[in-house]
Amino acid sequence: MGWLCFHLYGQVEEEKVVGDYVIETNQLTKLYVGNKGCQDITIQVPKGNVYGFLGPNGAGKSTFVRTLLGLIQSTSGTGTILGHPISSLESRKKVGYLPELFRYPDWMTGRQLLRFHSEMCQLNSKQQKMRIEELLDLVGLHNRGDERISGYSKGMQQRIGIACALVSDPEVIFLDEPTSALDPIGRKEVRELIRDLQMQGKTIFLNSHLLSEVETICNHVAIINKGRLIVQGDWRELSAIETQIEITLSGIENLSFDAMPELVLGSEKIRTEKGKESWMLTLKDEESIPELISALTVKQGKLYQVIRQKQNLEDIFMYWINRQEEVEHVANR
Amino acid sequence: MWPIARLTIKEIIYKRVFLVISLMSLALLIFYGIGTYYAQGQIANMNRGPMGGLAQGFMSTQFYGMGLYFAAFITSLLAIFSSVGSISKEIESRQIDPMMARPISRASFVMGRFVGLSLLMVSYSIFLFLGITAVNQFLGNQLKVVVSMSQVLQAGSLFVLQSIIIVAVALFFSTRWSTLNSGIVLIMLYVTSMLGGFIEQLGGITQIKQMLNFGIVTSLLFPIDTLFRTMVISLFESADDPISMATQGIFGSTSAPSKWMLVYIGLYGVMALWFAIRSFQKRDL
Repeated sequence: MGWLCFHLYGQVEEEKVVGDYVIETNQLTKLYVGNKGCQDITIQVPKGNVYGFLGPNGAGKSTFVRTLLGLIQSTSGTGTILGHPISSLESRKKVGYLPELFRYPDWMTGRQLLRFHSEMCQLNSKQQKMRIEELLDLVGLHNRGDERISGYSKGMQQRIGIACALVSDPEVIFLDEPTSALDPIGRKEVRELIRDLQMQGKTIFLNSHLLSEVETICNHVAIINKGRLIVQGDWRELSAIETQIEITLSGIENLSFDAMPELVLGSEKIRTEKGKESWMLTLKDEESIPELISALTVKQGKLYQVIRQKQNLEDIFMYWINRQEEVEHVANR
Repeated sequence: MWPIARLTIKEIIYKRVFLVISLMSLALLIFYGIGTYYAQGQIANMNRGPMGGLAQGFMSTQFYGMGLYFAAFITSLLAIFSSVGSISKEIESRQIDPMMARPISRASFVMGRFVGLSLLMVSYSIFLFLGITAVNQFLGNQLKVVVSMSQVLQAGSLFVLQSIIIVAVALFFSTRWSTLNSGIVLIMLYVTSMLGGFIEQLGGITQIKQMLNFGIVTSLLFPIDTLFRTMVISLFESADDPISMATQGIFGSTSAPSKWMLVYIGLYGVMALWFAIRSFQKRDL
């Protein structure tokens, strides 16, 4: 999908083909007393993707999701889910939701909870029966479905919550910190489940502050900080925040990259092994790679290895957060 | 609406709230029955002299009225405690989030709660009203109040209506405030209503206008006591009688509330429910 849409402080830097979006918001704002909440959030979530909504604790992620689902009313702005205005009943017909603070009536059994939710989604009794068994099996609670939720561990409650979110076979699934109570095996299972759901064409809106989780499963990412959207876009495009390479070479005495400021923005020697020096270089841009190699070849350098470094989400996250703070700092001055 | 109504009923049944209350109520009926049985024996021995008939009438209405008064009191408390947290507690615990993320309107949610709670309260009210009436009719002998079936039906409907009105008002508070605050406000309203009722009756006897006005204001504010007294009048059929107060005692009324007051009470309940829906539609969860 040719989807790319970079926004920084509401300014569109680049926009390609707009596909069919299942979630769209336009300057959606929910402010509480003291200006807490989320402000002017404009996003587009493409169909069939895992969309990571990232931000530190208290950034306004859950407020945004709760506004989308009509649990809280927006202060201003608009939004649609599957083409229907948020807070309308139609917008919630094909939506599943696992809240961050998952609490379910503890006097119910897991099976009763799923039956109750399937009744609310107007499934007929035959569909209910099939779906409930399928979901209990999917979340690994098939033997515990008749136990009361009060007897469930936190992880089991999160599992039944996931089953609950999927009961209506929704097209859009909001998962707010879906692995917060799970052990590593449980987390892996949820990640696999999310991938499976994506394979089925579902769109998953994943709210998380666990960067590693988002990094492994999300195609698209939005970063929010202090209630404001910092950036959103294709994860691969977002990750191209700077060009870093690891280069291993020999044959150049007193090698220093300070003399090439037009190509190399930063350099750090990692190791020297058997006369070969390995450097971590931050380049001006992607085009600087061949130019740098040419320049080193001219200097009679012997190149053994050039590895393009992939940024991890933590770096990207910090990059965008810092960039926002720099912009704010300049604006305040 | 129906899944919410079913959930409400199931919740109270599963939590055994109703079972415990029903057993306690059964115990209350047994004690009331024993009390009535022994009291009627004593009345039979006392029933001598020219004022005997009046004294017997007074004692029988007082015993029956007392039973109904405490039955109404328990029913009202149960209505308050079961309804007052039915929405606010769900919001406080965040259990409401997964429910309201479903394609269900806020009005349906409130109506579901109302229907579920009302059905339970109606069943319980009928059980308690008929229990007290049965004790008076079958164990009362000398204390038996002669009532027709239509009187029982009319009084029973008014008895049931009390708890429905309370559920509607409790839901309104529950959509706006925390469970604790709503509970305190509702109990205060209930006590004020009862107190206002007694002051109004005393004002009626002593012809003190201020006392009468106080009663009228409290009955407009929370008309539960008015409903109870209308029920007593319909059951004892002696309102506007010069010796009405003498036969009805402290549970009766010196004057029957007008039909407009009953219309007001009906509208009061409807408006409370409407405000509950509006308030819930506007609030953030």
